[in-house]
Amino acid sequence: MAEVRHRIQDGTGTSTVARVAAERKDPHARRITALLIAPGTIWMILFLVVPMLMMVYVSFWTQKTFTIEPTLTLNSWIAFFSSETYFGALLRTIRIWLIVLAATFFLGYPTALFIGLFIKNKTLQTIVLVLCVVPFWTSFLIRVLAWRPMLGKEGAVNIVLQKIGLISQPIEVLLFTEFSVVIGMTQIYVVFMVGPIAFMLSRIDPSLIEAARDLGASTWRIFRTIIFPLSLPGVVVGAIFVSVMVLGEFATSAALSGRKVNLLGNIIVTQVGSLKWAFAAVVGVILTVVIAFIVAALLKIVDLRKEL
Amino acid sequence: MENRPALRSALAIYTMLFIGFLYAPFVVLGILSFQSGPEGGPQFPIIEWSTYWYEHIFGLTPPSRVAPLPIGEALVRSMTLAFVTMVTSTVLGTMTAQAFRRRFKGSGFVFYLVVLGMIVPGVLVGLGIALVANDLSIARAWWGTAFVTHVLYTFPFAFLVMLAIFNRFDKSIEEAAWSLGVPPIRTFRKVTFPLIFPGILSSMLFAFTLSYDEFPRTLFAAGADLTLPLAIYGTFSVEIHPNIFAFGVLTTLFSFSLLAVYGVLMAASVRSAKKIAIQEDIE
Repeated sequence: MAEVRHRIQDGTGTSTVARVAAERKDPHARRITALLIAPGTIWMILFLVVPMLMMVYVSFWTQKTFTIEPTLTLNSWIAFFSSETYFGALLRTIRIWLIVLAATFFLGYPTALFIGLFIKNKTLQTIVLVLCVVPFWTSFLIRVLAWRPMLGKEGAVNIVLQKIGLISQPIEVLLFTEFSVVIGMTQIYVVFMVGPIAFMLSRIDPSLIEAARDLGASTWRIFRTIIFPLSLPGVVVGAIFVSVMVLGEFATSAALSGRKVNLLGNIIVTQVGSLKWAFAAVVGVILTVVIAFIVAALLKIVDLRKEL
Repeated sequence: MENRPALRSALAIYTMLFIGFLYAPFVVLGILSFQSGPEGGPQFPIIEWSTYWYEHIFGLTPPSRVAPLPIGEALVRSMTLAFVTMVTSTVLGTMTAQAFRRRFKGSGFVFYLVVLGMIVPGVLVGLGIALVANDLSIARAWWGTAFVTHVLYTFPFAFLVMLAIFNRFDKSIEEAAWSLGVPPIRTFRKVTFPLIFPGILSSMLFAFTLSYDEFPRTLFAAGADLTLPLAIYGTFSVEIHPNIFAFGVLTTLFSFSLLAVYGVLMAASVRSAKKIAIQEDIE
């Protein structure tokens, strides 16, 4: 639509507009379009939209010991907000999300800066990016598990630190704590931050930076007023990827915290395990609301449709 | 910016450390997979280098207190599921993207609806489908409910890839074929398909690897028969042995061989496209 308007403003696109209008009116073409989009659209509505609505509905059902009944009640909702454990899980999920988001941003940005701005050769740029993506091709669960021999009491990190004499006793709090969960998630998701930022940075016109330098701007000032603002859409896209994945996490926290760190995702898994479907649905709805809120807030920062 | 050598080398060193951070766990995992067995544990030091745990996976070692990984049937299920998911999502993705080459009412709605599939966390998708299946008294199974949730996840990837491919080539090529009287099916086979083949290959690679490794969407949807990630997850709760590390190394090698096949097919398709271009030049 925007493109059509754009062409009209250009004053060149009358024929295009006419063609679009004709295409829209052509009943044969419309039938083909309808047939083409029908299977995909039906699939998404039937297996994604309906189940999500079902989740909202079931969250108001009555939970019996092993079954649920469609008698509407607020009991599961009240149980969630009156329980220290469950409400605490919500706060913990948000805290870990914030920490991992900050960690992926601060760890990922310099790498993205180097790949996007400092490597001029396109082939080399691709090679370094692929190098970052390769670990993604291993099984997710085994990637998580690989942190255990890294962080454990007799793990690689402790051995190295003891060898170089930084510590005399092994650090025990590395594994099965919130720290190990944050490290594990950061390593797994940081690539999703690096990619979009590097992409935006590589599109910056070098002459813009040269001009600023010629006019006497310091490196920090150039970064602050030109480079960072131009990379912001990449940061937002990366932040959306990381946020959605971290908020829905449960495997990393289960494997690396010794079941001590319970996120909303972990609560859903345990509740389903004990057939408390209504309660699991409540947690699911809360998680959905949190994610929708965060994604909407991130999208407020930049207008992605305009930027990309 | 680029004429600041100090900053440049600082960032270069940082990037190397960063890549080291991404790879370190794998290196450790790879080393520990050669731990001696069955008495060697999943930690340092290496008692003695051996391939015991690799043999253990294939059942070539004498029975010991360490139970073999329950992966045989799960592997077959995961492969089958990944294959069917790959075909389904590539077909759906190509069809939907084909429709998007024409402007139509409600295209924005369809676009966001499809993209939603890769944004909604897997644990919620799995929970939702399990609730619906329970309510309708449909038995949950890896080939039913889990298959459906896998396609929800991989179809958007296929769709976006195909959208990018269709955006890149000119519609007039096909229109030329039609106006010369070539029937639409033949046009698709002879003109459109070769042009979009790289996209199809990429969507297939995405779909297969994503489905093969998919865990959160499968957990509540698979029912009693486990897929591979579920079988691996099951070993988390009990004591871990280096056989899981050896298995990690093997699956990584498998993924790389898939990537290699993809690379070879991709190179071949680029070569044949070039050949056609040259022929056109000559003519």
